[in-house]
Amino acid sequence: MKTAVIKFPGTTCEVDVYKALLEAGVESEIVKYKDFDPDKYNAVILPGGFSFGDYLRAGSIAASTETIKKVKEMADEGKIVIGICNGFQILVESGLLEGALLPNLNLRFISKWVYLRVIRFDTAITRGLNKNILKMPIAHAEGRFYLNDIEKAKKYAVMLYSDENGNVNDKVNPNGSILNIASIANEEGNVIGMMPHPERASFKLTSIMGETDGLLLFKVLRK
Amino acid sequence: MKITLSSYEMELVRKKLARELNEAEWLTIDALWSEHCSYKSSKVFLRSFPSEGEKVVMGIEDWQDAGALDVGDGWAIVLKLESHNHPSAIDPFNGAATGVGGIIRDIISKGAKPIALLDMIRVGNLSNPRNKWLLKNIIAGIGFYGNSIGVPVVGGELDFDDSYNDNPLVDVAGVGIVRKDKIVPSVVKEPGLKIVIVGLTGLDGLGGASFASRKLSGEDEIGAVQIADPFAGKIVLDATLEIADKVEAIKDLGGGGLVVGVTEMANGLGAMVNLDKVPLRVKDLKPEEILVSETQERMLFAVKEENVNEVCKAFEYYDYPCTVVGEFVKEPYIKFLYEGKEIVSLPSELLLSPPRFVWEIRKPRLIKSDKKPEVRLEESIRAIFSRIISKEWAYSQFDYEVGTSTVLKPGEADSALISLPNGKLLALKGDANPDLCAEDPYECGKSIVAEAYRNLASVGALGIGVVDHLQFGDPKKPEVYYSFVEAIRGIAEASKFFSTPIVGGKVSFYNENKEGKAIKPTPLIVMAGLIKDKFLRNKVVEDSYITLIGFTRDEMRGSLFGKIFGNYGEVPKARLNEDYLASQLVIDLINDEKIFFAKDINKGGLIASLFSIIVKGIGVEIRTSSIPSDSDDWIPKLYSENGGRFIVLTNDPDYIIRKSKGIHISVIGKVTKDQGVIKIDNKEINVNKEIDNYYNYLYEVML
Repeated sequence: MKTAVIKFPGTTCEVDVYKALLEAGVESEIVKYKDFDPDKYNAVILPGGFSFGDYLRAGSIAASTETIKKVKEMADEGKIVIGICNGFQILVESGLLEGALLPNLNLRFISKWVYLRVIRFDTAITRGLNKNILKMPIAHAEGRFYLNDIEKAKKYAVMLYSDENGNVNDKVNPNGSILNIASIANEEGNVIGMMPHPERASFKLTSIMGETDGLLLFKVLRK
Repeated sequence: MKITLSSYEMELVRKKLARELNEAEWLTIDALWSEHCSYKSSKVFLRSFPSEGEKVVMGIEDWQDAGALDVGDGWAIVLKLESHNHPSAIDPFNGAATGVGGIIRDIISKGAKPIALLDMIRVGNLSNPRNKWLLKNIIAGIGFYGNSIGVPVVGGELDFDDSYNDNPLVDVAGVGIVRKDKIVPSVVKEPGLKIVIVGLTGLDGLGGASFASRKLSGEDEIGAVQIADPFAGKIVLDATLEIADKVEAIKDLGGGGLVVGVTEMANGLGAMVNLDKVPLRVKDLKPEEILVSETQERMLFAVKEENVNEVCKAFEYYDYPCTVVGEFVKEPYIKFLYEGKEIVSLPSELLLSPPRFVWEIRKPRLIKSDKKPEVRLEESIRAIFSRIISKEWAYSQFDYEVGTSTVLKPGEADSALISLPNGKLLALKGDANPDLCAEDPYECGKSIVAEAYRNLASVGALGIGVVDHLQFGDPKKPEVYYSFVEAIRGIAEASKFFSTPIVGGKVSFYNENKEGKAIKPTPLIVMAGLIKDKFLRNKVVEDSYITLIGFTRDEMRGSLFGKIFGNYGEVPKARLNEDYLASQLVIDLINDEKIFFAKDINKGGLIASLFSIIVKGIGVEIRTSSIPSDSDDWIPKLYSENGGRFIVLTNDPDYIIRKSKGIHISVIGKVTKDQGVIKIDNKEINVNKEIDNYYNYLYEVML
């Protein structure tokens, strides 16, 4: 069984995710959105980019495709579904995850490296993780996570924007997310959405400190 | 639509064809003969550029849309540099965005995968709200397009000068990677191939090439600006690369639209196009409009009949229009038909050979004050530091990590550095120096090439090739044309010296403000280089030795100091051999792992290079008596911008001295732990306020 990396028109990070999975020793392939057969895979990743140009709202057109219906089937079967950046936006738009991703507070696209504090270790990608502060880049214009039920938000949160020591405060919140949330998962922990890009922190040469924290998250998909 | 042809040119056409032309035909000639497409005022001089070398895969003379350089193991990089100055002055968001789109399409038209973008922006003073509006939208436009298509912006420049008040400069460079034997030509060699167009043609960008080839009129010219659709651009990118090896030639429909694309692709052969077959975005477009519309996100392919279905299938997967509109033919005439009627029938040869012009040249008589300004040390340091600002506000709006190949991030070093599929590391840097060019365009031409060469060396890379962009005012003004010719002379000389051939370029004239005053001459080059073995990731280390490589000269004209306090003295003369030797030394020191920080000396002089150390959160102390110079004056020692020099940090200065060949090496000071304090001789200056300004200026002013 393999991991599928879905390419919608406008997806930009499919090759990066594929390369990172290869680095992590995960068998995977890039699948164009119309050609996706969920039965062939035990996990699926929706990579970053601008699916269908992000016209209307980020992720909204992709969320209503046949492809996402198939992704839902996989999620219901307990298979692993990961949405990164635009993939997270698609998961939220399709109702696979609760909440919304609103425009960043400063109304600009933000590209920078951030620290993340992991607070949930019962999800498919954080299970067995022996590190609780990770470093990865973000790059998005609509990444401000919002959910009107704060208790639920707390329950779902997997990673929070923090400083390098794990302190969580407004100063290190790049986009205005409630509770500094960078990543959430469903209750079961098999559907995970995250704004940061783990694939961009998977290679020694291009990671700013030479650390490859992203690989730690991908390694669980190794079977 | 406006026609920019002169009455002389129109008479020439009438004489050659011995008949009067219809509107569509005049528009055809106007587009093909526009400065933008034909280089009629520049071609003669551009021929002096060195364009050959062992690494040149495709150069200027090959009539291609971009240059290509060998990077080893069967791979080549494709390089292209262009501007969108005029559209950006009117609609900065779409102007800048389509600049990115155009570059990307030039890269993919070679069958190459785009891997990096650099943007070089010049606007007027930000105290003017219009300039702020321009900058904000230019940056947003570049981000909008670059981010959406997934090509990282890895570097660039952002600079301010009053001479760009009405006419900002928006330069974009693109780099692609391709197997050397898979490069797709832009011209056809045989008749019988089908002409396939992808994308919809709309009403935007009407007469854009001719618009770019005249002065901004101040009238409503918004129709000449193209509207950017990066989502469509991404589909074109993905699908074109998918089918690149199934077509005989690819051309981006850029300046001049369909008529120019078809004529240039035919390259002397003929073409027959049915305008009725061109898929339209809006109904009832006139044939003349279809002919010259510059709607973005369209490509032209020359395809063997048996491959047409397969080519179009890749686009149809994304519901993207793909249509056969005609055929290349043997008879050397470019013909456009509409509703069965021939509306254009012109000989290819006429279209491809516009008259060449060499305009009058006159050396400007600059009234040069030669009074050395009176200024105190502390005042001058603060003034210079306050002009040096972090560009994070701009580059943080670009997705510079996409592609997972960005080794050195924007702002981290003097060159961008990206990894290539063959494991090699490619360094890229764009350089211009309008202040120096305004004083002496010849020395400026030489010095921007030398600066780029040093910038690459500062990360451990050896320059291998250059693309240039020459931006000037009205070429018919003798003083402007003088600066153009002189700048070319300088660039050509230096490129030849460094063996960095010029593989592509662009000319942009008619850059003027509302009063008809030309911008400062702004030739710009982007140099590519390869890391020899190791590369340098800058690090500042307390107690390390600040070592100056090179000799400082009393040549202050055209410097940042001169710009602020008044120009005086001589312009710096590029002594290319010193740049060469110092660069080789720095590359060696990086490979011997003897230095942990390197920066060449350019705008702002030695003191500006020191500032880039201090902003990392430490202090420095130097002794001016240790600076080897032809003058005892502290002003040139601190502020001269003559070339051939670097600042490096090391623990082993003796090693550097032993290694140097004919270059001055001097330990001029040390890195201290006094955060934000610069100590010169015995004077201590706390510059923490200037450091704050460095980090926050753009964020605050652009709020």
